[in-house]
Amino acid sequence: MEKSEIDRRLQTTKGFYRNYVRKFYEDAHKTKAEGTPVAWVASTFPIEMLLATNVFPVWPENYASICAAKHVSVRLCEIAESKGFSKDLCSYARCVIGSLFEKRANLPEGGLPKPDFLVTSTSACDTHYKWFQVISRHFNVPLFLLDVPYNIKGKSSSHLEKEHIEFYVSGLNQLIDFLEVQTGKKIDKRRLQETIALSDQTSKLWMEILDYRKTIPVPMGARDAFSAVFFMLCIPSTHMAIEFYTKLNSEVRKRVENNFGITEHEKYRLIWDNLPLWYNLEFFEYLKKQGAVVVAETFSHVWMGRLDPVKPMEALAKKYLPNFANCSIDRKIDLIEDLAEKFKVDGIILPTNWGCRMMSVGETIVKEEILKRLGIPSLIIDVDSSDWRSFNETQIKKRVEVFLQMLNRDN
Amino acid sequence: MSILSPFRNLLNTRHDIARNLKTKGKKVIGWSCTYTPEELIYAVSALPLMVFGDVENTKLADIYLPVNTCSFARGCFNTALKGDYDYLDGFVASSSCDNRDKIFDMWRHHAEIPYMHFVNTPHTRTKRAQTFFYEEILKLKTWLEKSFGRMIPEIRLKNAVEIYNENRRLLRRVYDLRKKEPPLISGVEALEIVLSSMVMLKENHNELLNRLLAEVSSRADPPKGGVRLLVAGSVMDNSKLLKIVEAVGGSVVADDWCTGSRYFWNLVDSNGDPLHAIADRYLNKIPSSFMLGQEERFGHSMKMAKTFDVDAAIVFTLKFCDTHLFDAPQLKEKLRTQGLPVLLLEWEHSLSGLAQMKTRIEAFIEMVGGV
Repeated sequence: MEKSEIDRRLQTTKGFYRNYVRKFYEDAHKTKAEGTPVAWVASTFPIEMLLATNVFPVWPENYASICAAKHVSVRLCEIAESKGFSKDLCSYARCVIGSLFEKRANLPEGGLPKPDFLVTSTSACDTHYKWFQVISRHFNVPLFLLDVPYNIKGKSSSHLEKEHIEFYVSGLNQLIDFLEVQTGKKIDKRRLQETIALSDQTSKLWMEILDYRKTIPVPMGARDAFSAVFFMLCIPSTHMAIEFYTKLNSEVRKRVENNFGITEHEKYRLIWDNLPLWYNLEFFEYLKKQGAVVVAETFSHVWMGRLDPVKPMEALAKKYLPNFANCSIDRKIDLIEDLAEKFKVDGIILPTNWGCRMMSVGETIVKEEILKRLGIPSLIIDVDSSDWRSFNETQIKKRVEVFLQMLNRDN
Repeated sequence: MSILSPFRNLLNTRHDIARNLKTKGKKVIGWSCTYTPEELIYAVSALPLMVFGDVENTKLADIYLPVNTCSFARGCFNTALKGDYDYLDGFVASSSCDNRDKIFDMWRHHAEIPYMHFVNTPHTRTKRAQTFFYEEILKLKTWLEKSFGRMIPEIRLKNAVEIYNENRRLLRRVYDLRKKEPPLISGVEALEIVLSSMVMLKENHNELLNRLLAEVSSRADPPKGGVRLLVAGSVMDNSKLLKIVEAVGGSVVADDWCTGSRYFWNLVDSNGDPLHAIADRYLNKIPSSFMLGQEERFGHSMKMAKTFDVDAAIVFTLKFCDTHLFDAPQLKEKLRTQGLPVLLLEWEHSLSGLAQMKTRIEAFIEMVGGV
């Protein structure tokens, strides 16, 4: 890497893993040892509900991505496969199931602290609750499933069906009952409102940060976004999150003011769908070398949403029901169309995910529709986020290069 | 000709039968998940027909679907693209798994069917989930009435419930024939009987079943029996695999899958409001693996194994069928606690890799039979 390129990395995200992620897992183990209940939770679950209690939530999905980044995920997947779990299942799930049978000393961050209970929803995929059933049986701890209706209309949150909101809110009330039994404490309604307000503030900051990336040249790339989204995903309603995003927000804003991009040679502006290759985040550096910058990810846009603390339960319903994983493909198409226009995009990368039906099926429709609506081409690449056995680097790079040449915006 | 032949013939000529009914003014409405309340479709005077996938290459679907898609869903979509279902007036999908949810997008964008509807099936059975599902059933009713220009009065619904319940009771009696050793009907025959019930008018199927039950004890060609097997899994929409199992010494006497016992085991309560009774029946039937009631389903597998006195079990999982792939190792463990040898078998709907599968089945049956 040239010196000038190294200098272009954001200061705020430097040492992100060490300063924030590792600390998070250290805290998790410490808190567990002190007797605080630990919950395992899956994405698109209304995490605010847990953060409003004294429960410490940890994310197996986040943990799996760490295992992939540290290049141990395949070894752990193989353990799960040896227990009869198919190689075609979600690599996150296989990785974490595998970790249950591995010595903690051999695991990044000493593994996940043992759960006291599990919570997940149906609002992203089947894998979440099927995987958590396996874990629930393994540890013999209870599992709470938030049953979320699938949003076939796929319209924006203002078009949510009344019955869906009601069903969601009733699920949250059941969740409260469950949490009160698990923790032995009544839920504090005021604390819940405060948590929702904090989460809203975090979301607002994050949305602003993402918005800055509309600028040419783009001030923040995918690698930083996929790191920094950690707070939005795992602990949105915390002062730590707000502090971090305030700092990041001001650094990115300054870049915009100074017209300072992540590369000197921005030729192609891309959207990256779904997950990154956690074991190969250098892939974004490789793209940059081709003059291609990622200006928006669907993933970093899933988790946000303004929340009205006056009506906490409805606010959560309106935040989580329209997430595109829970909607027909039209919702994702609309999101990508919107991003493509606002972020002045030249092309879209649609990575499928081998163990994930939700992310894989429908990408051909996205490709077709976006081309039809905006004339912007997409490239579908068949990969896996955490199992590099399903990643043919040479072939994928060749296809990306051909795709970029086709975009040929550099006249 | 065997007394079982009509079922196979009906299955093989299902498209012709549907087309023929259409010329007589009947509407045909496809469905794809056994959580679809067929009674309502029947009550709007249409033929409810389960969409199966042909066992063949899936070149047409491959254009749109990534490799890692459920091969059954792929097979069905391919058959639709080919035009084999061009007679469908409507299609009802259900939110029972990621594959089905996402494939419905494919149908909406690429299959040319005049009317399509999506039933939101909860994955739990809480009181609120029951209410939600009832409302979904109401929406289905309204959609049917509006799309096909015919009201569904309560009397027609009650009639549908009666005919469907009768079919369920008769199928249960057919299954009882398999408790004997050797069974009076084979696993292949039982599967073809159930599958044929899904593609024709139930009152006609009931007639055939009554005739079969009257004559079966004196049949000239009873199955020879073999290693008594339970088969479990999701969907098995053709009998090719079971033919192999029974050709190498297996005798399939019980099942726990969508196109078998789970399809008809539970009745609709015929007292009270039929719409509520239908909603109750579908949400509370022996759960498929996408429902939260995992222990209950495993319990059903174990009970079937016991009632039908099996020697071993084969758990079939369709490739890329997540919910069953997660369940399979756990179900295996459960069945083994009952002292049963269990074979886990991942299969492709297109039946690629059949030779290798046959070898594994044969080795398993030999191993069990040799004990």
